[in-house]
Amino acid sequence: MEINIKHIAKLAKLSIPEDKISKFETEMEDIIKMVENLPEITSESALVDVNNTMELREDVVIPSSPRDEMIMNAPQTAAGCILIPKVVE
Amino acid sequence: MDKLYSLSATSMKELLDKKEVSSVEITKSVIDRIEKTDKEINAYISYNFENALKQAETVDEKRAKGETVGVLAGIPVAVKDNICVKNLKVTCASKMLENFVAPYNATVVEKLYANDAIIIGKTTMDEFAMGSSGENSALAIAKNPWDTQRVPGGSSSGSAATVAASQVPFALGSDTGGSIRQPSALTGLVGMKPTYGAVSRYGLVAFASSLDQIGPMARTVDDTAMLFGAICGKDNKDATSKNYTFEGYTDSVKGMRIGVPKEYYGEGVNPIVKEKVYAALETLKAQGAEIVDITLPSTDYALSAYYIIACAEAASNLGRYDGVKCGYSGNRTAGLDEMYESTRSEGFGDEVKRRIMLGTYVLSSGYYDAYYKRAKVLQQSIAKEFEDAFKLCDVILTPTSPTTSFKFGEKSSNPVEMYAGDICTVTVNIAGLPGINVPCGFDSNNLPIGFQIIGKKFRESDILTVAKCYENTVGGFAVKEF
Amino acid sequence: MINNNYEIVVGLEVHAELSTKTKIFCGCKNEFGAEVNTNVCPVCMGLPGTLPVLNKQVVEYAIKMGHALNCNINRVTKQDRKNYFYPDLPKAYQISQFDIPLCEKGYLDILVGEDIRRIGVTRIHIEEDTGKLIHADEFGGTLADYNRCGVPLIEIVSEPDIRSAEEAKAYLETIRTILLYLGISDAKMQEGSIRCDVNVSVRKKGQTEFNTRVEMKNVNSFSAVYNAINYEAERQIEEIEKGNEISQETRRWDDALGKNFILRSKEDAQDYRYFPDPDLLTFVVPQEKVDELKAQQPELPVQKIFRYINDFGLSRTDAETIALSKDKAKFFDECMALKKCDAKLLSNWVLGEITRIANERRCEIADLTLSVENLVEMISLIENKTISNAAAKTVFEVIVDKDEKPTDIVKEKGLAQISDTSALQTIVDTVLANNEKAIADYKSGKTNVLGFLVGQCMKQSKGQGNPAMFKEMVIAGIENS
Repeated sequence: MEINIKHIAKLAKLSIPEDKISKFETEMEDIIKMVENLPEITSESALVDVNNTMELREDVVIPSSPRDEMIMNAPQTAAGCILIPKVVE
Repeated sequence: MDKLYSLSATSMKELLDKKEVSSVEITKSVIDRIEKTDKEINAYISYNFENALKQAETVDEKRAKGETVGVLAGIPVAVKDNICVKNLKVTCASKMLENFVAPYNATVVEKLYANDAIIIGKTTMDEFAMGSSGENSALAIAKNPWDTQRVPGGSSSGSAATVAASQVPFALGSDTGGSIRQPSALTGLVGMKPTYGAVSRYGLVAFASSLDQIGPMARTVDDTAMLFGAICGKDNKDATSKNYTFEGYTDSVKGMRIGVPKEYYGEGVNPIVKEKVYAALETLKAQGAEIVDITLPSTDYALSAYYIIACAEAASNLGRYDGVKCGYSGNRTAGLDEMYESTRSEGFGDEVKRRIMLGTYVLSSGYYDAYYKRAKVLQQSIAKEFEDAFKLCDVILTPTSPTTSFKFGEKSSNPVEMYAGDICTVTVNIAGLPGINVPCGFDSNNLPIGFQIIGKKFRESDILTVAKCYENTVGGFAVKEF
Repeated sequence: MINNNYEIVVGLEVHAELSTKTKIFCGCKNEFGAEVNTNVCPVCMGLPGTLPVLNKQVVEYAIKMGHALNCNINRVTKQDRKNYFYPDLPKAYQISQFDIPLCEKGYLDILVGEDIRRIGVTRIHIEEDTGKLIHADEFGGTLADYNRCGVPLIEIVSEPDIRSAEEAKAYLETIRTILLYLGISDAKMQEGSIRCDVNVSVRKKGQTEFNTRVEMKNVNSFSAVYNAINYEAERQIEEIEKGNEISQETRRWDDALGKNFILRSKEDAQDYRYFPDPDLLTFVVPQEKVDELKAQQPELPVQKIFRYINDFGLSRTDAETIALSKDKAKFFDECMALKKCDAKLLSNWVLGEITRIANERRCEIADLTLSVENLVEMISLIENKTISNAAAKTVFEVIVDKDEKPTDIVKEKGLAQISDTSALQTIVDTVLANNEKAIADYKSGKTNVLGFLVGQCMKQSKGQGNPAMFKEMVIAGIENS
């Protein structure tokens, strides 16, 4: 089992320092070994469950929250918005 | 009155109802106790003393005026620091959320307030509820009151420590794979993980959404049930919560069939733990329970399925900590990706990163079917096995933790060894069942041992009945003089 | 111009915001143009601990669209998480649908020139919209507004059945009209309530397999769709002609520059790590609800066009112009329902004066005081020759803003056409007597003076004479003179 730590880290937006990569690799491999002993499956329909369903919400307005409370935890704000580093697309 | 803090919630309630003490007196006693002992125990991340006293005054006034008060009126309760209390910090014991102030109340907190409970503070935990010892906290590492060289278990380490040290009568914890039951076992408490959907998760900072449940931890069965009764029920803000009325419980196990699955009494379980759990079975049998041998063969795979599902969900749930709208923020001067990576690399601890990595891996292109999908199918077969087993018995009894409390640093270097300690508890989350830890004696180091009772879905009544019967039979549970 | 040896292959992914009262997963208002970050709550801000609860109306609207596009409805379905990091996506995942879309395997018939083309609809799924990023150099960064975050969207994915930019435009226009007919979306492209991603490939004519496709994002108007497809097709043909391979990539359309630019290559393709959202369980739509929504379906534009042509004898262009506007079609159908006026005459008025006034006032026909009854009465007066077209304009100017009966207006203003021959003859005689030169001209072959003479008669009659009768009488008068 080979795990591309750098690729996974990139997907997860984590940067793993070079000196920790091999530690992470070993640990991840150990964990993967542990979880790999799963038996093969035959059933295909595991992802919807008609015996456990949810109710839907009526389309009724609930007052929104005060803006100040919603952005008070943001590291940076400006003009009633959350400010982030310049996004170029 | 002396040592008000050490009373059970049920006793506090009696005194309050008889107006022999006030909530302010109790609250002051509890605050004083925490101030005297928490340097040693380290159970809290933040205290809420000022508000608690104000709340206590309000409740006392209500009582004085003869107004109706809630079932928890005037009784102090501690809340795990992954549950939102408006205007208080909710840190999840992470550097990431060290300064995050909740702008809303969790539904369970609304229910605590509605029942006039006094929120005394926020308890420490393993970071984002990931861990079994409390050692993964980035902010405060709680100690086991039975031996402060040892861990209180986790992830609800602070809730376990504060209740076990008689700082408060009860606390809320959360349980994704054993995080209420295992620390309860390691600190000699009663702690219950309710049926998935019995308690609203709204306002519980998610670890693994399909497994997380909030539940009570206390020193007695009655206190556990009292807190549970106050927080359970359908919530329109949580689509996974269900209509449910808690029916109460008795203290008689006469005619009750207790299933004993051999898979839970294997080699990995400490002999002394096994011995005490078997002794508990004998006690219950003497009270009229019938012991039935059952089998749950998929147990072997449960740990793997658990880690795949939990980590996959966690990786996604923890994506939102990105330095944008709340929490820690890393380098913001070198573009978006640098902000994301520095925020997440500096804000999360190693165990959290490990689980995010594993979760990302099992969901990534090409591996989804092999891991996540397979785990979900196994989850169904595990649930099915429990269903079948419950045709033969009413409840299932197992050890809660294969070992008693261990020393700080003893296991933390090896994640797989640490994960193996969850073997007895994870299946209950995987199958969405209710489970409770009941203390059943001590090992040679005088460290608590506990057994777990697993019930049918929404049959908290059954497991509380077994727990209550046992508690009465053994004459109550030992409390650590601290 | 597209090289004649090639064929364009296009598939469209249309995102349409649904006009529900609230957002898809919380009770915040779904509203365009509110002050920044005022329609937000902990749920749509993705704050820790919050949970989504699905809005029933979103599901019903999406099923309505599914029916309109002839889809199968998956009554048992779920929501999935699409994981990626971007500052307009506060949870770092979008709640969408992956392997079980609410609607799938449908089609849409569109009219292109004289042809009817059937475009396959792969799927329609429900998902949440993202927030808006506002580039603000004055603050040294980008501002995030989350009002739009959690607004419900349907994504309609077509099969690669579209073969030209014209077809793509017609498809999109038809989709837009259907959304409006169903009343499930404002469908305003300029407000971004419909947005479009375009997949384009080209192949040699006669070739059966598809070539590598390129996805273009940010194609947000009908004209942009048209231009972007032609631009990209030409670019690909040029590359192929040069002997280069087309690589599977995502490009961004810049409408102002009329060009596209590479956004990411195949190697950078995102791994969205879809999995079922554990906060939302399986949901089941009862069969009765699916049937009920089907029964509510109104007549759709393409059906209307054919009815107008076949039953009313309208021209293809007029039928299309009316049917593709929900407002015009509604008014037209209501007028026709009174069964008192000629369809062609009515369509002329609807597409002429009425549209002109509505455009001038920037409003819908429905917003005018003009009533169906008054208009139909006025048109019957034209038909039975009680009033001339000129007089009708005077009547129209009144009824467009006042609820007065056209017959009363005609009486009050003396607008009825004079059909009494003797009265008309007196006018013709006077005009002929005063225009000897014109008569001479006419006799010498300059017959175009006829119009002048009839005009003089109309002037004398203050517009109340019947011009056709005047014409006959003038000709007779000259010939007898």
